[in-house]
Amino acid sequence: MVSGHSSGHSRRGFLRAGLAGAVALPLSACTGEPTPDKPDPLEELAAQARSDAELAKAVATAHPSLAAKADAVAADRRAHHGAFEKELNRARPARVSATATPPPAPAPSAPQQASAALSALKEALTTGEKRAAELVPSLPKHRAGLVGSVAASCACLREVLA
Amino acid sequence: MFVRTQKNPPSQETVNAVQQALAAEHAAEWAYGLASAFLPSSADASIREGETSHRARRDAVERLLRDAGATPVPAEPAYQPPQPVTNQASAAGLLASAETDAASAWHGVLERSDEESLRRTALEGLTASAVRTARWRKMAGQTPTTTAFPGRQ
Repeated sequence: MVSGHSSGHSRRGFLRAGLAGAVALPLSACTGEPTPDKPDPLEELAAQARSDAELAKAVATAHPSLAAKADAVAADRRAHHGAFEKELNRARPARVSATATPPPAPAPSAPQQASAALSALKEALTTGEKRAAELVPSLPKHRAGLVGSVAASCACLREVLA
Repeated sequence: MFVRTQKNPPSQETVNAVQQALAAEHAAEWAYGLASAFLPSSADASIREGETSHRARRDAVERLLRDAGATPVPAEPAYQPPQPVTNQASAAGLLASAETDAASAWHGVLERSDEESLRRTALEGLTASAVRTARWRKMAGQTPTTTAFPGRQ
């Protein structure tokens, strides 16, 4: 009854075991921990959280009517960025020096119309939730909790903006 | 055998986490029953949505546990609200607290399971309860309505 092709997870683990020439590869090989030659999937989530926080801050400054809600988004997305950075640095201590001076990304600017600014924020949060949610099934346990919580937070913030 | 299939039974740790989530779903259903009497008709749609969602999740989780060979925990005959429920604010506060508990329990499942479909179920439970927490906190007049890490605090 045991078959090698009933789950993507097993298949990946099996292939990796073959490549490494090892018979019993530890299960951690397929839990999504970063390897030196593969970018950490949390890098993208961290960059997006920071960019959303900057967009929200720009919206709050440009549109006083949206300031309270946009400030809430900015604060929570900044907290997400901080938590992702902490986990990225924990997983790969060498990263701290390698990314000490990241190339400055252009700061997002707020759309001139308040309604367009609100839509831009909602869209950013929808994307943030989607990207995080997509990663949750395959992450190692401690990361699944963090990333799942961030996905849920993005959904809450979108509700606040609604 | 080192090839794992998704037919493998979940670990005891996973089953325990899912049982805790089921217990939180039972408690939430009870909380909606009590709180609804104190809430205005403008909250009817939100109450219905919450009740329906908890009932559906409870059924799905009970099935999942039986399939895993476990006996689903039953609902308690009665629960003790953290604060007395006497008016709209305290009723909404009870629901916010029940939804916070449910979000936390589902977050616990995320951290104690490996199986992909269970992770998706847990994320849905966490997200739905987190969104409803914000909704009821707002009605209860509690601020802030959101937290940066639902389920983790």
